[in-house]
This record gives sequence, C-alpha cells and structure tokens, in this order.
Amino acid sequence: MVNIEIEAFTRVEGNGGAEIIIENGEVKDVKLKIFEGPRFFELLTLGRHYWDVPDLEARICAICYLSHSVASVLGIERALGVNVPEEIMLLRELGLLGELIESHALHLYLLVAPDLFGYADAIRMASKHGEVVKEGITIKAFGNYIREILGGREIHGINIKPGGFGRYPTVEELERIERQSEALLRPARRAVNIFAEQEPLGATVQHYIATNGYLYGDKLIAEDGEKFDYLEHIEEKTLPYSFAKQSRYKGNIFMVGALPRVMLKHDMLTPMAKHFYEEHKEKLASGYISFNNLAQAIELLYALEKAKEVAKTLLDKGIEGENVPIEPQEGEGIGYVEAPRGVLVHHYRIDERGNIAYSNITTPTAFNHAIMELSLYEEAKKRYGSSDETTFLQKLEETVRAFDPCISCSVHVVRL
Amino acid sequence: MMLKLGVFELTGCGGCALNILFLYEKLFDLLEFYEIKEFHMASSFREHDTLDVAIVTGSVSTQRDLNLLHYARNHSNYLIALGTCATHGDVQASVEGKIRDKLEKVYGTKANPMRALDSTPIVQHVAVDYALPGCPYDKDEIYQVLISLAKGIEPPTKDYPVCIECKLNEYECVLVKKEIPCLGPITLGGCNAACIKSGVGCIGCRGPLPKEANPASEFEILKELGYDEEYIRRKFKTFARGELRW
Repeated sequence: MVNIEIEAFTRVEGNGGAEIIIENGEVKDVKLKIFEGPRFFELLTLGRHYWDVPDLEARICAICYLSHSVASVLGIERALGVNVPEEIMLLRELGLLGELIESHALHLYLLVAPDLFGYADAIRMASKHGEVVKEGITIKAFGNYIREILGGREIHGINIKPGGFGRYPTVEELERIERQSEALLRPARRAVNIFAEQEPLGATVQHYIATNGYLYGDKLIAEDGEKFDYLEHIEEKTLPYSFAKQSRYKGNIFMVGALPRVMLKHDMLTPMAKHFYEEHKEKLASGYISFNNLAQAIELLYALEKAKEVAKTLLDKGIEGENVPIEPQEGEGIGYVEAPRGVLVHHYRIDERGNIAYSNITTPTAFNHAIMELSLYEEAKKRYGSSDETTFLQKLEETVRAFDPCISCSVHVVRL
Repeated sequence: MMLKLGVFELTGCGGCALNILFLYEKLFDLLEFYEIKEFHMASSFREHDTLDVAIVTGSVSTQRDLNLLHYARNHSNYLIALGTCATHGDVQASVEGKIRDKLEKVYGTKANPMRALDSTPIVQHVAVDYALPGCPYDKDEIYQVLISLAKGIEPPTKDYPVCIECKLNEYECVLVKKEIPCLGPITLGGCNAACIKSGVGCIGCRGPLPKEANPASEFEILKELGYDEEYIRRKFKTFARGELRW
C-alpha cells in the first residue's frame, strides 16, 4: 500500500502536484495539490482606488493578464453604473481575442504537442518537427502583438482602464491585425487535425458552464438552460491539502474552458471554426476532458477569424478614442470574462470615494479544481496495474495538462 | 562547453518564466550556449545536476519556495534573481499583516497545513549574483544578461530612472502636463517607459531607483496635486514594500 506522488506537474503554469492514494491494490482517491503560495489579491486591492485596481489584478496571472484587466474593468464599471460605447467593447474584445490566440498557441504547440509527438519539450521536438513549433511560435507572437497594442505590453500592460483605454490603437496597427489574422488561418487550420488525434483521457464532463457572450458576458449559462449570477448556483469550499478551492454547480462537478464554450456557444462560432466543430462534433460531445485541446484548436481558428472581423469593423467605423468620464459612487458589480482557460469572475463593492470595499475573484482553474481531481482519479483507476509506471504518470500529467491549468490563478482567495 | 541552466519558479504569476519563452527565436540562440537542466513550465525534462546559472523567479511565500530557493543556490555558481517578486517582493509582499491573520480572513481558519509564509523577496534569504527587477522585466534584458555570462563578460546593470527613457522617447510628461500620479522619477528604468507610452503614469513595477531617487520630493509633489497621504503611501509600496519607508 504505497501512495504515488506526482511531485510537480511540468509544462503547466504554476506549481502543483498530486497524490494518488492506493488501498488494497486499487486507486482509492486522488488529491490535486496546489503548492503555489497564497497571494491575497482580495486584501491587496482592499481600500485602493478603483482606477489603480485593474493594473494590480493583472498581476494574478501572466498568461491571461488581459482577461483579468478586462474582468476587473467590467466589474468596476458595473459597480459605478458606467456604460461604454460599442467601440470600447469591440477593442476590449479584440484584446481578449489576442490573449486567446497567445494562450492557446502556447498551450497547444509548446506544452501539448510534445506529448503527441513523444518529446519532453518543444525545444527537443523542434529538431524533427521544427515547422510545427515555428508555426506555433508565429501564431503566439501575433497574439502577443495584439496584447501589446491593446493591453499596453506583452505581459502586465496597464492600457485597459475603467471607462476606456490609456492609448487607442492606430489605423496602421489595426490594419496589421486584420492582415495577419487572415494570413495565420492556414497554419492554424492544420493544427486542428494534429489535436484531433488525441486519445480520450480523464473523466467525461457532465456539466458545462460559460459566460453568455462568447468572450465576456453579464451572466453565466449552463447546459441545462439556466442563466444566472455565480453566487446563485455555485458553491465553494476550502480544502485542507491545497491553497485552491473547489466549486460545485447545483451540487455537481462542472467544467469551464474551451470545451464548454464550443459545446454551449457553437452557434456563435465563425465559419471555419464552425466547420471543424461540425466535423468533430461527436468527439467533442463525448465530453472526455482531453478533447479540450481539440476545442482550443477550433477556438484558435475562431479567434483569428473574429480578430479580422473586429479589426475590419473598427477600421470601417473609424476610432473615436473617447473615454467615458466616471464619477465615483457607491455600488456593486460583477465582471464575467472567458479567460483562455474558462470563466473568470471579478466581483467588487466600491465605496462613495471610489475605493474598493470588497472584492472576490474566482478563476477558471479554481472552478475546474474538482473536475481535474475527478479526471485524475478516473484515469488513475483505469491505468493502475495495467500501465507501467512511466506511462501511468505520463498519462496523468497529460490529463491535467488538457485543462491548461493556470495554477497561479487558482490560488484565489475568497470573499471577506 | 555548454553552460548548464536551471529556471526555478517560486510563488508568482508565472510571467517571468513565460517571458523567457517569449524570446521566441532568440531563445534558440541562447540554446547555442546553454543546456536547460530544469524549467518546469517549458519541459518535462529534469536533471539533478550542478548548474552554471540558476534563474529564480517569484517570491518566497511557502516553506517549499524557501527549500527550492536553497536548492537552487546550493547547486549553482551564478544565481539571477529575476523579476520584481524575486528582487523586491512585488504585490503579494505588499499585503500587510501576519500570515495567520491573512489566512483566517481568506480561508476562514488560522490553520496553515501548506506552510505558507509572509511573502518576501529572495534577496532577503540568499546571496544573489545578479538582480533584474521588472513586473515583468524587459525580455531583451535577460537575453543580454545570459549572452554576457556565456561570453564571460560581467552583465550590464541599469542605474537611471524611467524618466530618462520617457524623455528619449519624447513622450509628454504625464505628471507635469496631466497631473497623473507617475512614479517614473523614482523608479528604476529599463522598461522603455511602457506605461507612459500608454498615456498613464508609471506604477513603479521595477522598484525604486537605488541611491539617487528622491521619494520624499515625489511624495510632496503628489500631495500638492491633491492625492492623500494614504493613497500615495500605498502606491509607493505596491511593488517594493520594504524599500520605501514612510
């Protein structure tokens, strides 16, 4: 009766591991452990002026800083009763699309592809499959270009502000985005077939949750048709063995991320992305969490097609570049964004001077904690005793990797 | 001979490790000189070995972080503290209060089974050979440092404020012209004035300029602009709580 320890997951963002508990020659339980230290963001922003808060929240995560900035800005604007014109929302959407491109390309080409080609990392993989790695890097660099233009910097830019932007993009920059997103569609299309080859791993998802718009929204939606605010149906509990928390939807384990998005919102997909969704519909609908990678590959196409469309709309209309003036007032608001790895919630109460009186942030990896643990359990149970130890551990890592977990984010901290 | 390199991540946002991957083709240039022995975000390959260069990112926020830091120090000839978490503690270190109280506020219990610690920069725990701040640092900076080391040259350090880079770029001074609180005058340069490029004030993510900065004077200027003391104090301390005492 020896428990198996996965010391630290590799090719994921942040520090985490797992313990597989064996009893009487069977897998009894799996504990997903987050070693990343707590960072107390809710205490960090408490009492701070709303204007400075999105820049601080960005620091929760580097891969998806822009999602944090936008979610923070949306929550703050709702609390202050601010409505921004369509132009500003389109620019934010463009930023989020850039982040989706950057994050999905990083995950698929540099973190997952080595599994499918049988290498320890993308650097080693590049010796034989240089072209695939290079294409991935090019797509990722383009996503980062969008983040730099809209967000202000590749990582932790501070251009996304309540009421608008510090600086608006120029016509030349938007034209470059329009042009390049078109050009990258072809390599991205090839990627779908690479990731469609992945074997089924982990648990099968029974409940999906997403925001009502494709990349942001004012409510959450679920596969049972419910439209709700997160506090209405999602419950959280702390764990004794981890700095992360677990969530349940109406008492059930659920998933957020690319797979739930394409399942719940395939009607909103762009033509080429929809074509591939239709082609792989059955596979996706089986709900195995490893098909989250396939869903991400489809979304990479969506993001490129959509970025082109949004850039064109902005170019056709012309950029006004006017921020909405804000008067501090007391209020409460929630921002919902689809970060690359799923639903992200920023919830604020602001006092009459414009300072944060309360905040709660829930990240996708925190929402997915329970289904990640369940998936590890299912995969471990299936393989224990039949796979050799190297394969056993490797497949468990692949299972976790499919969630594209962001462990820095998951060390989220709750309501005060 | 190839130099052996390890990248270690303590508690943080992951951005300082990620920024190395954002070097793209330049990363492949570095691999002409370096062999990566440890880099868990990028590779499943890991070899316990002595290292020529260890890069440590993040802050010490758990006992595990501290153990990993000591491991990196004891197994390397040259240790680089990379990013503001490592050099100054960054935002998590600015949260005041005792760890048990913070845990109670957040998790509802003083229990600390994961052995969390009050966040501190790594420079407080071990001797470092080179400190490169920035949240994040500019990726070309780490490239420069690693190339210099590979060539046997002492890597360059910066010693000027963000203001200098702002002037070189001919950006309008947001502090003087727009009365926006900007920490550029007292913050170490190297970011190419990224925030001012966006028309917003520097938030001080690279930490205070060593020696020559005059935070007292900046404090007075912001007070005259009508910002209250508590606001300024927290702004100053956001990325480098231990450095500026008020």
